[in-house]
Amino acid sequence: MTKWAPASIVLLIVLGLSGCVSHPVTPARSYSAYEGKARTTAASVRSSVATARLLAETAGDGKTFGGYAGMLASESEDELSSTIGTFDSIQPPNGRSQALRNELDALMQEALTHVTDVRIAARRGNLADLALFVEDLERSETALTEFLESHGAKS
Amino acid sequence: MKRLLAVFLGVLTAIGGFVDIGDLVANAATGARFDMNLAWAVVVGVVGIVVYAEMCGRVAALSGRAVFDLVRERLGPRMAMANLAASFFINLLTLTAEIAGVAIALSLAASVNYLLLIPLAAVLVWLVIWRMPFETMERVFGLLGLSLLVFAVAVWRFGPDWSTLFHDSATPTVPTTESPWTYAYYAIALFGAAMTPYEVFFFSSGAVEERWTEKDLRINRINVLIGFPLGGALSLAIMALSHLVLAPRHIDVGLLSQVTLPVASVVGRLGLAAVLIGIFAATFGAALETSLSAGYIIGQYFGWPWGKYVRARQAARFHLVVLIVIVVGALFGMTRVDPVKVTEYSIVLAAAALPLTYFPILVLANDRDYVGEHCNGRAMNFVAMVYLVILVLVSLATIPLMIITRAGA
Repeated sequence: MTKWAPASIVLLIVLGLSGCVSHPVTPARSYSAYEGKARTTAASVRSSVATARLLAETAGDGKTFGGYAGMLASESEDELSSTIGTFDSIQPPNGRSQALRNELDALMQEALTHVTDVRIAARRGNLADLALFVEDLERSETALTEFLESHGAKS
Repeated sequence: MKRLLAVFLGVLTAIGGFVDIGDLVANAATGARFDMNLAWAVVVGVVGIVVYAEMCGRVAALSGRAVFDLVRERLGPRMAMANLAASFFINLLTLTAEIAGVAIALSLAASVNYLLLIPLAAVLVWLVIWRMPFETMERVFGLLGLSLLVFAVAVWRFGPDWSTLFHDSATPTVPTTESPWTYAYYAIALFGAAMTPYEVFFFSSGAVEERWTEKDLRINRINVLIGFPLGGALSLAIMALSHLVLAPRHIDVGLLSQVTLPVASVVGRLGLAAVLIGIFAATFGAALETSLSAGYIIGQYFGWPWGKYVRARQAARFHLVVLIVIVVGALFGMTRVDPVKVTEYSIVLAAAALPLTYFPILVLANDRDYVGEHCNGRAMNFVAMVYLVILVLVSLATIPLMIITRAGA
């Protein structure tokens, strides 16, 4: 037990620290692997958009205060930007993957625009106006859901 | 009357102090992703911590010494060192997450980036440990943590179909969108969140700090048998609210702030204020416990004077360790490491190290040299042994599952 204890502890430390980095990335060697990463990314983006929508609805109903709404909107935007950046850093392995990347990128950029709009309004304290963005956010969510379903996501 | 009040306050403190950032994140994340299909893991974890916390408190009350102190004496320095190394590292990860949790709770109220508030959180934690009496510290943050009952209020206000909710909890399945491996991984995470090692080290050291004796055994049992299960019910309320509000919207919990949004959505501003106070109290209280726990296990292993009940000058090394771990935890948090990921890793790695923590407790609770006539009965030993087998299986499965599922991705 004593012999293995130091090695076990080092393994624990390495595993612990390596996993604390946001969105660790491995390369995609085939279209199916790339498509899998696209699905994970789309699901994560949809989650960020859905969070922004729930926030917009809640704040629009007068159920939050300004500081909180601004912080949550900023965090959602940062998370979304980070997810997009991580996905864009993955090299598409072939032409078909490149087309997939273009399709998802367009959806993600539109989603980011809407979430940024929520952040700007929330930071300015215009909480009642947040309800105006709900429809756009819902459309983004629907588009991402359709993307997921067309690329093999289980429902 | 005075005794009844003490018992009542003890139970409330146990409820409010039960939930920490691990429970908040794990229960919210699993509720959003697995609905109520992992409620059973919370129940299993709560029963486990009740069993072993009772033993821990009993050993400390009857021997006048903390569990870790006795582990070194009874099982030898090597066993204690293995326990120490694993527990200390996991403690440090947990403390990082808790300090970040305090900063995030403050940032959501103050609209300031949480990274700027981490140093403030760390200073406040150290100040409270340095200046506030032990019992006051436990009571204040335990009672403030009762604000988290707003999750239960929110579930009630949501008005779910209760029969469906209970049915889903009682008949778990693996969702079609998830693999059985990921399901098992998150079950382990919930189990680890309920049975984190620092809780028992703090519990037994706290019993020594408060100078428990045989006459405190009944209070220990009441706190543990009533307080902890009600705390577990609070964990289930967090999971249920996530299931009701976040899951239908496909929201995965990756931010601590997302845990609060369902409360705001259902209860409104008052609920939001309550949940922010509750998260602050829960994470602050847990930061106090993990900091002290680090000092306790180091001090007890090396035989140094330790504890707040000892004069600071006599326990200088203990206080230095506490200060150092707070500083290291804060610095690690300021590297922009993802607090939710750190939390997930701390509870999962804690699950991997559980047998090292709980096996010695079982040995001590059966040793008449330490507990006299109050050693475990057959029923208690049977349950404890069943749990020890579960702990070993969980421990063996944790790292492989972490690799297979890429840490639950």
